[in-house]
Order: sequence, then C-alpha cells, then structure tokens
Amino acid sequence: MTSTDLAEVQLPGTEREPQEPETGVLFEGVTKRYAGNDRLSLDLDRLSLPGGSLTVLVGPSGCGKTTALRIVSGLETPTDGRLFIDGADVIDTPPGRRGVSMVFQDFALYPHLTVEKNISFGLRLQARHDRRSGLDDAEIERRVAQVCGSLGLAALRKRRPAQLSGGERQRVGLARAIVRRPTVLLLDEPLSALDAQLRQRARAELVGLHRELGNTIVLVTHDQLEAMSMATHLVVMNHSKVLQAGSPTEVYRRPVDTFVATFLGSPPMNLSTVGVPAADRLAGPDLEARLPRPVPGLPSEVQLGWRPGDATPVRHDADPRTGLFADGVVELVEFTGDTMVAQCTSASGRWAVVVPANGNAPAVGESLRVHVPAARLHLFDPVTGSRLEAADAGSAHE
Amino acid sequence: MFRASARGAGVARHLLLIVAVVLMLLPLAYALGTSFKPVSTLYDLNPVPLPGTLENYDLALTRFEIGRLLLNTLLMAAGVTVTTMLVALPAAYALVLFERARGRSLMVVVVGAALLIPPGALIIPQFLMTSWLGWQGNPVGLIIPQLGTSALAVLLLRDHIRSVPPSLIGAAVLEGATPWDILRQVVLGLLRPALGAVAILLFINTWNEYLWPLLVMPSVEDTTIQPGLALFAAPENPQYGPLLAAAMLASLPVLVMYVLASRRIADAFIHSGLR
Repeated sequence: MTSTDLAEVQLPGTEREPQEPETGVLFEGVTKRYAGNDRLSLDLDRLSLPGGSLTVLVGPSGCGKTTALRIVSGLETPTDGRLFIDGADVIDTPPGRRGVSMVFQDFALYPHLTVEKNISFGLRLQARHDRRSGLDDAEIERRVAQVCGSLGLAALRKRRPAQLSGGERQRVGLARAIVRRPTVLLLDEPLSALDAQLRQRARAELVGLHRELGNTIVLVTHDQLEAMSMATHLVVMNHSKVLQAGSPTEVYRRPVDTFVATFLGSPPMNLSTVGVPAADRLAGPDLEARLPRPVPGLPSEVQLGWRPGDATPVRHDADPRTGLFADGVVELVEFTGDTMVAQCTSASGRWAVVVPANGNAPAVGESLRVHVPAARLHLFDPVTGSRLEAADAGSAHE
Repeated sequence: MFRASARGAGVARHLLLIVAVVLMLLPLAYALGTSFKPVSTLYDLNPVPLPGTLENYDLALTRFEIGRLLLNTLLMAAGVTVTTMLVALPAAYALVLFERARGRSLMVVVVGAALLIPPGALIIPQFLMTSWLGWQGNPVGLIIPQLGTSALAVLLLRDHIRSVPPSLIGAAVLEGATPWDILRQVVLGLLRPALGAVAILLFINTWNEYLWPLLVMPSVEDTTIQPGLALFAAPENPQYGPLLAAAMLASLPVLVMYVLASRRIADAFIHSGLR
C-alpha cells in the first residue's frame, strides 16, 4: 500500500462532505491575516461562486473583496482554510497551474512587448516549459489571431501598450487573460481605469464575452451599479465578511441588513426608526404605515426602509388601506434624465423619492406626501440592523 | 525686492559653480596644452602650445606602446562590467523579492554597509587571497576581486527593480512564469535603460582603476593604462610630453562614452533615489 493509498483511507466520521458545487469556486473557512495586523482582512466561512456564473464581489474599499480574488488567483496565500476550483483543492497548486487568469486594475501589460507578444506571453512560456503539452508556434499564432479578432485588436497587434488608449489597453489585458482559456477568469476593477462612456460599453462587452466563453468569471468592483447590472451572482462584502450572496434581484429586493440595503441602489434606501404601536402598525413623526396583517413578535421599535423608486407622490387626502405614507418638504430636486430625485426633509429624517421627469415636478419648499405599497417595505432590527424575516412573511400576503 | 534678491542668489550660485568648474578643468587644460608642446618649450609657463607638434603623440604610440595598454584596459573594464552585472542583477532581483515577501530586509542594510567599506581597506586581504589562489599576473586575478565593489550596482538596480509594478510580476506569475522567467523576460526588458547606465558607470570606474592592476599586473607589458602611465613616468628621466599625450589618449574613450551616455547616467541616479 503506497502512502497515497494510506491517505485515502477514511476514518469513521471523517468522510468527506459531498463536494458541492462540482463547478465554480468554493471557499471553505478561508481567512487572511496580514502580518502586523490584528484584524482579519478576510474571513469567509463558506462562499460558493457558481460555475459558469458572472459573480461580482462588491463592497466598499478595504472590505476584503480584492484579497478574496487574489486568493483565488494564488497570488495571495490564505492564513487558513481551503479553496476549491471545479471541485479540486487548489491551495497547494501554484498560481500558474490553477487554470485561472486575471485582468489587473492597471491591466499590467508588459510595456516593452508588443500587443501580440503581451497576449501570447503565457502560451509561449508554457510551450517552452513543457514541450509536450505546450502549443506549437502555429497554434499560438492561431489563438492570438482569434482572440485579437474577437476583441477588435487585429489592427493593433504590433503596437506597444504606451501607444494604446485606455479602452484598448483594457481589451489587451482581457485578450491576454482569455487566450489561455482559463476555467476561472478574475477581473480586478477592470473598468475603473476607463472613462464613464467607455465603461458603459466595456460593461456590455464583458457581459457578451461571458455569454460567449461560458466559463466562470469573478469580478471585483466597488461600484454597486456596475455590480448589479453585470452580475448573474452577486456577493456583497463588508468588514472582511460576506453579508449576502445571491442573484442581483434577490439581493436588491431582500437585503439582509441595513448595510446591504443602503449600499445597493442609487439613491440609497430611505431608513428611519419608527415605533410599533400595534402589531400591524408602524408610526413615526411624519410617517405612518399599516401592514396588511399583524406581524407577531416585532420589537417595540424597528428600522423602516423603503426604496426611493418604490414611492409615488399621492394627494394629501389619499388613503389606501395599507402601505406607508410619508410626509416631507422638498429640499432639493435632482434632474437625472428620465427621472428626478426629490430630496425631502421630515420630522423623522431625510428621505428621497424618484418621480418621473415628464410629470409634474415637485417644487422646492412644497410639501409632499408619498405612498409605498406594504410589499415594498423593509423592516430591520433597530440594534443589529438585520432584516426582520417575520415582517416579510406578513407583507407577502398583501 | 524679493525677485531681485532671488536673482542675486542665482547669480552668486552660478559664479560659484563657474569657479569650481574652472578649478577642475584648469589642470586638464594645462595637460592638454602641454601634450602638444615640443621638448624645447615643455617647461615654459605659457600653456598655449604654439607652434604645436604631434611628436609627443607619436612617441606615446610607438615607444610607450600605449595601444596594448589600452587594449588590456578595455578587456579588464569589459570583464569587470560584465561579471559585475551578472552578479548584481540577480542579487538585486532577489533582494526585491525578499523585501516584497517579508518586508524590509536586513540584506539591504548589509549590502549598503558594503558601500561604506573604503576600497583601500580591502586591498591587503584581496592581494593575499589572489596570491594564495595563484592569480597573480593572471587576468582572472585582475577581474574577479573587483567584484567586491558591486554593492553600488546592486543597490542601483534594486531601486530600479522596485519600481516595476507588482501587478506586472503578478501577471507573469499567473501565466506560469518562474522567478527566472520573470527576471529574464519582464525585469530585463523593463530595465534595459537602467542596465545600460549602470554598466557604463561600472566601465568608467574600472577603466580608471589604478592600484589593483598595479598590484596584480606589475609588469609594463601586461598592465593597464593607469599604472602603465605611472610606470612610464620613470623618476630618473620623466618624459612629460609623451606622458601627457598618453594620458590624453587614455581619457579619450571614457570621455566619448560619457558624452554619449551622460543623460542616461544622470537618469539612472535620479530614478534610483540614490542621489
């Protein structure tokens, strides 16, 4: 019996957990602590990034999202924990052998090499290291030509990075990453170096590319709009931890706590602390909400959240049976194109409402009453900020 | 008022610089003038060589055989430059990798400390070691011990390698590059200008080496130009004309090289932060 066989023998009670998911990236108890830092920079109990998804890790700067990405790449070694790519434990696999490639924030193009040499760098290295499994020159050329063609770089092949625009550099970085046909493609804020107009187009291109390649893409960004518009799977992080993971609509509609609620969405969710006079009523200064059904077990005070887009201005005497009525005085009106955002002040704090730009614009100083359907109200614990699930059960029956 | 005083300070500074430059160039100009003088007027105080003669240069080339000395010097300078670069570049790269992995490294301090040892203090141990090794009178003994002065090259190159963005190295690592691949294909490509500058600096320094070639290669036929000049200045019958002509010829290659590369050399220092 060889030593490998011995390792395979399983003691009772130590059977391997079924390794799901079979594809994608799985973090298990991964932590990272940098030398000289008391706090963990990353603390992932369990996080699965589904195979074939375009997963976006989003959060404020310093939340650990880039550290998580670099751990997948292998450029960073976790302090503890295990990492699986497509079911295989890769903690001890060197970065170059993980089938992972990465587009860096600054694109990291080799300035002394032409575009085509930049793109073929990894393939040529591989060919030299391993003459059997490496590709021959003709195959490398074919692949470079193909990727240049699909990313619109054919005319730029002989240029050097210094002679390229920001958008072109980004595409070269992308070309270099995908020419190796990685199982996981990592993108570290790939759009932040582009100007606003280009970013919009690059976003669409990335989504198209993901559809074409069908592999797992993990993208890191601090831009919540970018995150929601591109992701098929969204992971919101803060303070080194994952707060919520799921589809963008799920995370947007049912944020697990006030941080996620206000981090996603622009303008952010309105929040105010209200009292709970009865099991189906919430009340605060200038605020009054009636729930369709009594919600048992609410604390005496809750944080009430509602999205500016879910509110509609109503006449002052309007009185639907349920939902939230909020009163305020318009302080500022921001024109954003199709819509306007009215920022209002009220006795229970500031709130915003989105109104169509072609309707009657609220005037500054005017008092405004808005209504939010009960199903669109979010209740959070006033102390911990976490979502009160009981309230969802109640409002779902409206 | 302010502007006037600023201008005054500028003028004063320039005057000072001009005086310094003149003081430095005067001996050189005197030597250059004298090298064109015939023997009859050699000891005149008039530095202008009129009428001039090329006789001294002829003597330098034929009687002193300065050509062979220059060739020896070229071989030594090139040998020291190449070997030093071969040691300094990997050393500097390794230093940077250590620093990136573990923070500020003691190794850097050690290499820096090597700069503080006066070269003269190393002469006796180095001389004894080359004797034990039987390298006396051997070109190997001329070249290898001069690697002892490669600390400056290591530190200069380290500063340049540190300016290579970590993401470039990360990108190469992800593409399966070994540290050796990265050194050869990424760092070397990016550092070409700096390498040129450091090499020229080493070349010029080695070219002007006097004491070590004199110790290892004391015979007039095999030695390099600087001790060669001294050996020609035989105390009993110093031939100042040909000697100065030879000195002019000896500084010509270095001068040409410096003129061609002066901007690069300045850049290498400016970008390194070691000013």
